[in-house]
Amino acid sequence: MILARRAGAPRDARSADPRRRTFWALALPPALALAVLLVAPLLFMAALSVRTDLSGTLLAPFAPTLKHYAQFLATPGFIRSLGISTLTALGVAAAATALAYPLAYFLAFRAGRRAAFYLVLLLVPFWTSYLLRVMAWKLMLGGEGAINSVLMWTGIVDEPISALLYNRGAVVVTLVYVWIPFAALPILAALGRVDVRLHDAAADLYATPFQQFRRVTLPLSLPGVIAAFLMVFIPTVGEYVTPLLVGGTSGTMYGNIIQDFFTRAANWPYGSALAMVMLAGTLVLVAVGLRLVSPRRLLDR
Amino acid sequence: MHSWRSRFAIRGAIGLVVVSAMVGACGGGTATEVPPGEQTGSLTVLDWSGYDAEDFWADFKATYPNVDVAFEFGISDADIYGKMKAGSQADIFHPYTGWLQFYVDEGLVAEIDTSKLTNWDAVPDSFKAIGQFDGKQYFIPWDWGFTSILYRTDKVEGEIDSWSALMDEAYDGHISMWDDGPAAVTVSSYIHGYDETAITEDQLAAIKQEWTDQASLNIAYWAAESDLVPLMQSGDAWVAYAWQGAYATLLGEGVPVAYADPKEGRNSWVGVYGISAASENHDLALKFLDQKLGELTGNNLVSLYYYGSANGDVMAGITDETLKEAFSVDDPSILENTNFTPNLTAEQRDAWTAMWAEVKASQ
Repeated sequence: MILARRAGAPRDARSADPRRRTFWALALPPALALAVLLVAPLLFMAALSVRTDLSGTLLAPFAPTLKHYAQFLATPGFIRSLGISTLTALGVAAAATALAYPLAYFLAFRAGRRAAFYLVLLLVPFWTSYLLRVMAWKLMLGGEGAINSVLMWTGIVDEPISALLYNRGAVVVTLVYVWIPFAALPILAALGRVDVRLHDAAADLYATPFQQFRRVTLPLSLPGVIAAFLMVFIPTVGEYVTPLLVGGTSGTMYGNIIQDFFTRAANWPYGSALAMVMLAGTLVLVAVGLRLVSPRRLLDR
Repeated sequence: MHSWRSRFAIRGAIGLVVVSAMVGACGGGTATEVPPGEQTGSLTVLDWSGYDAEDFWADFKATYPNVDVAFEFGISDADIYGKMKAGSQADIFHPYTGWLQFYVDEGLVAEIDTSKLTNWDAVPDSFKAIGQFDGKQYFIPWDWGFTSILYRTDKVEGEIDSWSALMDEAYDGHISMWDDGPAAVTVSSYIHGYDETAITEDQLAAIKQEWTDQASLNIAYWAAESDLVPLMQSGDAWVAYAWQGAYATLLGEGVPVAYADPKEGRNSWVGVYGISAASENHDLALKFLDQKLGELTGNNLVSLYYYGSANGDVMAGITDETLKEAFSVDDPSILENTNFTPNLTAEQRDAWTAMWAEVKASQ
């Protein structure tokens, strides 16, 4: 709806238009911040990725080389790892979005006057540090952790199940948990824009509650769903902290390899090249995904 | 926090100017040392977490109570090197054997005038030599210790006497290797008798295969000693590549652990401190390093972390039986049977760390 309104806005505004001045006043500070804090470091990293090595001063001129990209292509293990991390991120994003949807639905349509209170409850986890929340899962899943203790106490198992922690499953569970509140917010925003009278109209036309949801509510909330999915998917591809804490040897993700080249190998150029490959891969996936789903078409329907 | 610190530094700098102006006025131009108790200023130390505890710079704190010492942390030698390379503001940094040559080659470390060090005579020549490159002293040695296999005596049957225990399927799911490529190359070299300083491509391929096969036996790799200790304590890990500090901590907690004397020999390493070539506080940093070699600091290092001090007098004064045991001071053969970590070349560093990243990605 917003997109449609923008498309219909008058286009003949001249530079003297005070609205345009307001636009620049509002757009310039964030644009500058992005340029300095995001674009410049990215360009620096791109430059670093075509350096031979770290020797010499960082800003000195150098002969560019593509050897790190060639080395990546010659290392099947890294390519495979990027694939696994992408699939993991797709799974985490799908699960977190699916689990966040009922939560957002409840807040938007069923919570009533308590909605604000529940929203605060949803945000409470953010008051603790991310690391603490991940560490808490270590306590849940560990050999002497909460789940194992209950299982042992009830006699379901005789000795602790070690398969709960330090594997990819633990990484997925932890990430889904961490992302659910984040994913709920854009869905909630989208559901909040749904005109409740549409529900009445659908009911008047003898739609069952399920039909109402499938034909009215869900399509209208899809932009929020897509936003939630991407918000989880994009950072999760490069995730490295969670696998480090709960992943063990088998839960290593592509982000850990990148991190290793920075912190355990002092090979920043190779690490930068690996990061650029991931960035490009994620951008392509998101572009293709958006082309396939086409939020604009969904909106116009 | 930062503005407070810089304000402190400014106040310190003003103090220094005032004091030196007064000294200049009274002493007719001859430079006079500020008494240690009145010395002000600030120092930043890039160190490993845990070494910021005042126990480990107790002599400096006692002698220069008005100097503000701040700590920054690195998680590995590569991390510390990367931070120094990227222009860290730290005056002092703490690398370990294996990673020293790079700082000299890249001009990141300042030469040290040892004649200004009051505790220098207590350092044995063999330790002094570790910080010397091209006949110049760039680093002062500070801590040293062993690397070996740490194991839970209640979980492991019998004694562990070889580095190959880290690849033993009997401990499947209960091994913890250090997350470090050069360390993996070192362990394989000990087991197969390779020359660690001249690993061939074929040998590196074999090493990669060996650790790829080993990976699934680990419950987790450990990155910092603070990861390893709880793993061993909870009984999740039984057998681990470990430094003496973890052994000391676990013994202190009453966990049944032993520290192996592998037939291939233990590994031994030395930690050194260097002064950043970019430091504007070189003289004060030098005083910090001198006090680092003090006896109180050395004794704390020995009794709290079970690491050896580069101060020979401290080591000669050890009477505690547990400590003697930890350093194997009564076993004359232990040092002969120890392999010191050689300095890496840039090619080895890049090849070995890339090998390790592939091992980790293979899972």
